[in-house]
Amino acid sequence: MDKKPVKNGRAGGFNLLSFVIEHREIPLLGVLVLLLAGVSIAVPGYFSGNYMNILKNSSMNLVMASGMLCVLLIGSIDISVAAVLELAAAIAGVLMRDSKISSMIGMFAIGIGVGALIGFVNGAVMSFGRVLPIIVTLGMTYLARALIPMDFILGMNKIARIDLTDYFKEFILHEYLGIPVIVYIALAVVVIMGLFLKYTPVGRSIYATGSNEEAARMRGVKVKWIKVLAHVICGGMAGMAGIMRLGYYNAIEKGAANGQEMYVIAACVLGGVSVMGGYGKITGVVIGALLIATIDSAIPQLFMNATMMKEFFKGILILMAILLNVLLQRAATKRNLKGRDI
Amino acid sequence: MKAKKALSHLLRWETMLVVLLVALWLVFDAKDASLQAAKLAKGRKATDVFNFTKMLNGMGPYLLYSFMALGMALILGMGDIDISVGAIAALSASVMGTVYGPFKKVMAPGLALALAILCCVMTGAACGFLNGFLVTRFRELFPMIITLGTQLFYRGFCYLLLGGETLQYKDDTVWVGFKKLYNGSITLGDLSIPTMLIWFLLLAAVFFVFLHLTTGGRKLFAIGTNRVTSRYSGIRVDRFELSMFVICGVTSALSAMFYVGSVSATVRADAMVGYEMYAIAVAVLGGFSTGGGKGNIIGLILSVIIFGVMKKGLGTVFGLPDSTVNLAVGAVLIVFSLLPNLLEDLSNFRRLRRQHAQAQLK
Repeated sequence: MDKKPVKNGRAGGFNLLSFVIEHREIPLLGVLVLLLAGVSIAVPGYFSGNYMNILKNSSMNLVMASGMLCVLLIGSIDISVAAVLELAAAIAGVLMRDSKISSMIGMFAIGIGVGALIGFVNGAVMSFGRVLPIIVTLGMTYLARALIPMDFILGMNKIARIDLTDYFKEFILHEYLGIPVIVYIALAVVVIMGLFLKYTPVGRSIYATGSNEEAARMRGVKVKWIKVLAHVICGGMAGMAGIMRLGYYNAIEKGAANGQEMYVIAACVLGGVSVMGGYGKITGVVIGALLIATIDSAIPQLFMNATMMKEFFKGILILMAILLNVLLQRAATKRNLKGRDI
Repeated sequence: MKAKKALSHLLRWETMLVVLLVALWLVFDAKDASLQAAKLAKGRKATDVFNFTKMLNGMGPYLLYSFMALGMALILGMGDIDISVGAIAALSASVMGTVYGPFKKVMAPGLALALAILCCVMTGAACGFLNGFLVTRFRELFPMIITLGTQLFYRGFCYLLLGGETLQYKDDTVWVGFKKLYNGSITLGDLSIPTMLIWFLLLAAVFFVFLHLTTGGRKLFAIGTNRVTSRYSGIRVDRFELSMFVICGVTSALSAMFYVGSVSATVRADAMVGYEMYAIAVAVLGGFSTGGGKGNIIGLILSVIIFGVMKKGLGTVFGLPDSTVNLAVGAVLIVFSLLPNLLEDLSNFRRLRRQHAQAQLK
């Protein structure tokens, strides 16, 4: 019996299962398309009326999730992103209210700066102090949430429409070619992050650190600094999302983004990013974030008494999606291993 | 030499906590005394707001999450984490409130309440079981990710049961009963000890025996240290872990019962948000690390007291807002997990330098 030519230890030719393993985001894309199709059939005119809302709502989550991707890739985790978002938005909002800054770039610089600073502290304590990331970021959540109602930041007030300049309010939702700026920002972040992770030496170092820290260190990667950098990126992205949120809702107050970190992590995990580090792609994260936003917007359309049912179904759907993803992976890996001659 | 080392091991973390507690106490007491002196100098009546009796009486709010922290200690000892305890407690309280009404229509209030409490505990156990089941069956995902997901699910279930409304026990006996559970105290000479503290200490004693004096505790720390090795040495890791998650769920349900008393016997779907963070913070300060394999219930009890003293002191003595207290909690959490590592680094550094110097002498 003549064998097929063997390439990279696998049977030659196109194997759908191994393709699925290589590209974990493909089945998820199928789920997203199925969900959209199902809802569109149940609610006529759903897709055409809502696709822009889905994109707009997912853009902040997407920016944070692409930062979270870096952190998960090095095998760490950051649960302070929602608190960082609030803090960055609050500081930038207060500065704008007191007319210390008025420019667009200034706002984003402040937001990203605040976020990156907090990310640096997280990363430094986690990397050089060898404290577990969950503990550090949990403590940081407390610190950031506690700083917001301090007198020198928000005090008892909140940032409302009148505190912001007209240009800022206009800009974020201003449409070019029918697409609002907020979506362009998310798109730019995703593309830059994807290119950064895939093609720059630093990006590859992040993957290397996550998949085998010791090997990466031997190879000359400054492992500790790479870990700090990943946390800085994650914090910076969270701060940026804060400014985007401020522009989108034109308001920020204490506890505004409570629980947002769950959806950020869920977007990453849905997108096939391994929480052990070393595996994950930006395309998966994009699809994961879009899926969550779709679930979010579809439930009120499907069920009448929306808000209560929404919480319930959102929780159960996200949980099911995560578990289904794992089961699918398992089945694929098992089948694929069976095909090999070992 | 050996005895000295053993002693230092035994005393390390708990001594640090005692020192912290004493330092906090002295600072608050001094501040309180100076405040009183200032008031007396102005000729006004001064009240002693921070002393042992006041602290003991006012321990209630700081004990609500202590039960959860006990359950969390088991989970952290195994190197897992459970973020859904707050949601489990809210769901248990919701179930208890929802089933009490129908039960009362068909039987005596006392029996109905007993059944409702049973349902509450069963809900906690069921939620813990689901967590444990998912954690042990889906090893690819961190317990953290899974419990983040189940938290959303439990919280959503609360909203489904209660809607956005506040459920009130329209019944005097139950109302008084729950209030008593939370507020009640036993008078012992001059002191009145809150019953909640006694419940907590009793439960903590049970947990102490389990963790430090039985094979179960040895198994738990063995799993926390190395899961694979534990399995090869004959521990049924999955089953054990599952049962620990169930116990954590039950302790959350216990917290929920006391919580119902603290908010005048009402239940809301968004109750106890953020309690999981307190539970984790207390357990971590008590010496349980999320890495697993270490921890001591004595440390946990000390850390519960420290949290209470810190909150009370910062809140009433210094008159700082709640946010400052949270700031302190965050800072304590980070600093106290950073400190042992830094000390270790320092001692390593000094040892290396000493060895280096000796090598040069030769």
